[in-house]
Amino acid sequence: MAERSFQHEIGLLRLGEGETFRGEGILAVTKALLQSGVTYVGGYQGAPVSHLMDVLIDAEDLLAELGVHVEAATNEAGAAALLAASLAYPVRGAVTWKSVVGTNVASDALSNLASPGVIGGALIIIGEDYGDGASVIQERSHAFAMKSSLWLLDPRPHLPSIVHMVEQGFELSEASNTPVMVELRIKACHVTGSFQTKANRAGAKLQAPAAFDYGRLSHPPSTFAHEVAKVESRLPAARAFIREHKLNEVFPGSRSDVGIIVQGGLYNSLMRALAKLGLADALGNSQIPIYCLNVTWPLVPEEVAEFCAGKNAVLMVEEGTPEYLEQSLSLMMRQADIQTRLHGKDCLPQAGEYTADVLVAGLARFLESGPGRQLAADTEARARTAATLLDAPLPGRPPGFCTGCPERPVFSALKLAQQEIGQTHVAADIGCHSFGTLPPFSMGNSILGFGMSLASAAAISSVTGKRPVAVMGDGGFWHNGIISGVAGSLFNKGDGVLVILQNGYTSATGQQFMPSTLAEGHRNETPMDIEKTLKVMGVKWLRTVRSYSVATMRETLKEAIRGAGKGLRVIIADGECQLARQRRVKAEDAARLKAGERVIRVRYGVDDDICSGDHACIRLSGCPSLTIKPNPDPLRDDPVASVIPSCVGCGLCGEVAHAAALCPSFWRAEVIQNPTRFDLWLDGLRRRVIGWMQGRARA
Amino acid sequence: MSPISRPLCLVVAAMGGEGGGVLTDWIVEAANASGLAVQSTSVPGVAQRTGATTYYVEIFPTPLAELGGAEPILALSPSLGEVDLIVATELMEAARSVTRGWSDPERTHLIASTHRVHAVAEKMEMGDGRYDEEQLQAAIVAGTGGRLLFDMEQAAKSAGCIVNAVLLGAVAGSGLLPIAPETFEEQIVAGGKAVESNLRGFRLGLQAARGDIPAPSAVSHKRPHPPVAGAEILMERLAFLPAGARAVAEEGAKRLVAYQDARYGRLYVERLDALAAITGDEAVLARVAKHLAVRMSFEDVIQVARLKTDPARLDRIRAEVAARPGQPVVVRDFLKPGLEEVCALLPGFVARPILAAAHRGGWAGKAAWGRQINANGIFGFATMRLLAGLKPWRRHSHRFVQEQAGIEDWLAAVGSAARLSPALGVEVAECARLIKGYGGTWTRGMSNFQRIRDAVIAPAATGIWPLAFALDAVANARAAALADPEGKGLERTLAAIREKAAA
Repeated sequence: MAERSFQHEIGLLRLGEGETFRGEGILAVTKALLQSGVTYVGGYQGAPVSHLMDVLIDAEDLLAELGVHVEAATNEAGAAALLAASLAYPVRGAVTWKSVVGTNVASDALSNLASPGVIGGALIIIGEDYGDGASVIQERSHAFAMKSSLWLLDPRPHLPSIVHMVEQGFELSEASNTPVMVELRIKACHVTGSFQTKANRAGAKLQAPAAFDYGRLSHPPSTFAHEVAKVESRLPAARAFIREHKLNEVFPGSRSDVGIIVQGGLYNSLMRALAKLGLADALGNSQIPIYCLNVTWPLVPEEVAEFCAGKNAVLMVEEGTPEYLEQSLSLMMRQADIQTRLHGKDCLPQAGEYTADVLVAGLARFLESGPGRQLAADTEARARTAATLLDAPLPGRPPGFCTGCPERPVFSALKLAQQEIGQTHVAADIGCHSFGTLPPFSMGNSILGFGMSLASAAAISSVTGKRPVAVMGDGGFWHNGIISGVAGSLFNKGDGVLVILQNGYTSATGQQFMPSTLAEGHRNETPMDIEKTLKVMGVKWLRTVRSYSVATMRETLKEAIRGAGKGLRVIIADGECQLARQRRVKAEDAARLKAGERVIRVRYGVDDDICSGDHACIRLSGCPSLTIKPNPDPLRDDPVASVIPSCVGCGLCGEVAHAAALCPSFWRAEVIQNPTRFDLWLDGLRRRVIGWMQGRARA
Repeated sequence: MSPISRPLCLVVAAMGGEGGGVLTDWIVEAANASGLAVQSTSVPGVAQRTGATTYYVEIFPTPLAELGGAEPILALSPSLGEVDLIVATELMEAARSVTRGWSDPERTHLIASTHRVHAVAEKMEMGDGRYDEEQLQAAIVAGTGGRLLFDMEQAAKSAGCIVNAVLLGAVAGSGLLPIAPETFEEQIVAGGKAVESNLRGFRLGLQAARGDIPAPSAVSHKRPHPPVAGAEILMERLAFLPAGARAVAEEGAKRLVAYQDARYGRLYVERLDALAAITGDEAVLARVAKHLAVRMSFEDVIQVARLKTDPARLDRIRAEVAARPGQPVVVRDFLKPGLEEVCALLPGFVARPILAAAHRGGWAGKAAWGRQINANGIFGFATMRLLAGLKPWRRHSHRFVQEQAGIEDWLAAVGSAARLSPALGVEVAECARLIKGYGGTWTRGMSNFQRIRDAVIAPAATGIWPLAFALDAVANARAAALADPEGKGLERTLAAIREKAAA
C-alpha cells in the first residue's frame, strides 16, 4: 500500500492476449514480469521504481490468482536475498530497488547469489537514479555487473523494447545460469507508451524441497569452481544467447566510414541529436550505422568486430564515469586487431547526463563537422543569452517539507535550541527529513546513506568535544539504523543524541508501510514499536515527544545535548505523516459532515495589521501554506506573512510563535460545522456581549 | 531517409501538488485520441508537494495512420530552443523555463498563470525578498514568440477547480496542437474527477486563448485607515506639504489619532512642519511622513489589544477561513509578551532598574508570559478590551518616552542629511524601516538601527564624507542589516565602510 489506490494500474496488469497496454515504463515492466510467469517478486521502495512494488502490493487478488508471492523487503539486501529461491529451484522471480544506492546495500547478497548462479530466471529491476532529477550520488550500477558477473540489460526507452527485454532477460538468465539486471533510467521509468500484451502466466507449481548440494553454496571450495564456471561456461552461454536472439540491435546507415555504439537507454537522445545534425529523420532512419546495446554487459566480441571492422572510426556513447564500455571495446578491438579508431569520452563529457544537446556537441567533435560545431556553439550561446534575460538568478525551488509535515517542527525546535546553546554537529540522513538541509533550516554536516546518521556521528564527539545530533527517520531506522546506528552506539558505549522522526511510513518514496506502521488493516497483529525496541536494546535515556510541541522539543533537545553523563540519548519525535493523515481525515470528515455530525475545521492565520513583515516565523518554518502577501497597511511596504487556504491546521505556527516569543499576529480559528444547539447559543451570547463591549468602546 | 517533420515539443512546468501530472495526462490522452504518436515523461522525484516539477511531452503532428507502419522516435527531454509550447502554472516557473534556454524567441509560445507562489528564499527575507515581477514578465516576453498570460489562479478559484484545468483550456484554445478543443474537453469528462468544476475552468482558459482574457483584479491590496473623529482638522493643516507627501501624511494623521489621540496627531503634524521648514523636497517629506507615522504608532501591548478587538477583525477572519453564515468560529490568539514588552508599559523609573537587572542577569530575552486567549470568548475579549483601554496611560510609559527620544534623534539626522542633499535625506529616512516588530525582532532592529546611526548616519549627516560615498554607505548598511538575522552581513559592511572612509 502506498500513497494512493492503484485500481487503474491493476486493471492494466490484468490485460490478456493481444490487448493494448498504455501507461508508464515501470508499470510495463511489472506487466512483463507477470507475462513471464514469475513465482515471486520483491523489492525495496525508492524513486523511480517504487511504483512496481506499490502496484503489486495493492494487487493482492490478481497475485493470488497467479500464485505470485510478493515480499516488501525491509531493505535491498533482504530483497536480493529473496532471489535465493531461483538459486535452488527452477522458478522465476524478480526484485527491484533504486540504484546505485540500493545495489550498494544489496551487494553482499548479490555476490553470494552470483557465485553459485541460478537455475530459475532471476531478474533485478534497477531504477538508475542518474542525471536530471536524481536524488542520490552519481555512480554507475554497471560496476556491480562487471565485478559479480551479472548481466546488465539497458533497453531502449520504448515500451515494446522494455517488455521484450524483460521477457528475454528471464530466458538469458536461465540459459546462462546468471542473475540479470535490467537498468531503467528515471525518465524511462516514467515514459509513457503502449505495447501489445500477452496473457499472464501463473507461477511455478509447488516443488519438493531441494536436495543438499554443497556445490550450490557460496562457500569454499565451491566458490573456486563458481569462479571458473562464470568465465568458462556462463559467459559464453550468455554471449551465444544474446547473439542468437539478437538482443542488441544494428540499425544500418548509408555511411560506411563511421559508426556509433550506444547504450540502449540513450538511443532516443542519440536519434534526436542525429536528427538535429541532419543525419537522421524523425522515424529512426540514420545515415550513420548504429549498434544499439540493449545488453551492456557482457559485450559480444563477434558483434563488436562485425560492427567495427572496416570503419575508420566508431563513437561509444556511454553515460557516466568511468567509461567501462569504452575500455572493454578498446581491449576487444586490440585483441581482434581491428584498426578502427575508437572515440568516446574524448568527444563527450566525462560526467553528467547525455541529453540530445550534449550529444550534438559530442557528435560534431567525433565527425569533425563544421556545421555540427556551429550548431553546438549556437546552442551554447542560446543558453548563455537566455540566462542573461534576468539580472539576478532565480531562487531555486527544491522539494521541501509538505504543508503540516510533522518533521518541520523538529527542525524549528533544533534551530531554536541552537540559538540558545550554540552550534551542534548535525548528522543528516536519507528521507523527507533531509529537507532540513535546505533553507530556512540549512542543517546537516553529512549524509552517509540510508539509516547511517547515528553511525556517521560516532566519532564526532571526540572531534568537537560536544555531543552530536543524528537525525533519522523511522524508515531509516528499520532499514539499517537500528543495527549500524543504535546497536553500534550501545555496544561501543557511544555518546550522542539520536532524533528519530516517527511518522509511520517511508514517506519520501510515497508513504509505503514499514515495520512500525500502524495503519488500519495493516499488520495490526504484529506492530513493531520503536520505543519498545529501543528499551529492549538497552537505551536508558529515551523520550517520546509529540513532534509539533516545539517548546517541549526544544527543551528536550537542550537537555539531551547538554545533559551530564555519557551514553546514547534518543528522542522519538512522534507525528504521523501529514499526507497520509490528511487523506484519511478528509474522507472521515466528509462522511461525518454528510451525516450531519459536528465537525471542527482548524485554520491558522495572521492579523495583517499586526504582522510587521520581518518573517521570523517563516525562517522557523518554511511551510508552503505560510507565505507572504502585499502589505495592506497604506504606510508600510514590506510584505506581511499570510496563511493560505491549503493550511491543514497542524499547529506549528502557534507553537513557533509561542516557543520563540515571536509576535502576537498569529491566530487559530476553529470553524464549527454542523454546530449543536449549545454551540449556537454560546456563539449568540458571545456576540451579544462582545457587541455590547465594542459599542461601549466606540461611545 | 524520409523528409518527415519534427515532433511538437511541450514543457509543462509546475510545482508539486498543482496537478501538472494530470494536465500532462490529459494532453497525452487527447493526442492519443486524435491518432497521433505521443510520449510524455517526467522527473517527479520525491513525493513532496512543493518542489518544481517538469513534465515533457512530444507529439508527432503527422497521424500514425499516415506513417506507413513506422513509428517516430521521441525524445525524453527538451532540447534548448526547440520547445514549441511551454505551459507553466506560475510566473516564476514560466520565467525559469525561458531562462533555462528551452524557449526560442520565434518558435516558442508560452501559456502561464501570472500569479506568484513565492519560493522559501523569497519568503524568509527580513524585508522584501520578492523577485521583481516586471523582470520576470520582461524575460518571458523577450524569450518567447507568443504568449498567453493572465491570472489563472484567480480564474481557477472562480471556477472552483485548480489551475491545471484552466491551462488545459488555454492549450486547447491556442490552436498550436493538431488536436480539436473538444478532444481535450473529452479527457476531463473521461477522467471522471471533479468534472463540472474542471469543465468550468477549462472554458475560462479556452475563452482566454480566444481573446477573452479576464481583467486583472482592480482592487488595491491597501486598506486606507478609516475616518476617525479629530483627524479632519489635522488633515486640513497639512497644506504645507507637497501633494505626494500630503496624501501620505493624511493617512498618518488618521492613524495616530486612532492610535493615541488628537494631541498625538498634532505632534505628528508639527514634526512634519518642522522638517518642511528645512526642506521642501517632496521625496524626503513623503518618506518621512510615512516612516514617522509608523514609528510613532510603535507596536506595544496596548496597540495589539486595540487591533485584536477591532470590530472589523472578526469579519476578516470569517472571510479568510471561509466560514459560512451560521457556523460559529472560535478564534484563539497566541500572545507572549516578553519582559521588555511588559516593562514598556511601566513608568520609566520602575522599568529602567528592572530592565537593567534583567540585562545584567542575561534573562531579558528569556522571560516571557505565554498565553492563549480566546479572542471572541467573553473573558478573552474583555481582557483585551481592558488592555486596549490603557491607551491614555501610554503617554506615561517607559516605551513612549524612549520612542519619542529615538524619533527626535532620527528626525534631526534626516534634517541634517536633507540639508546636504535631499537624496541623502531620503536614505536616512528610509533607515527607519529597520525598526519594526516585537520581542527579539524589535530588539534586533533597534540595535541594528543604532549601530548604523552611530557608524554611518552620524558621519554622513555631518557632511565629512563625499556625497556619493555617503549615499552608498547608508543604503548598503541598511541592505546589510536586512540580509541575515545574525547580523554578520551588517558587521562586514560596517567594517568595509570604516575601512573605505579611513582610506
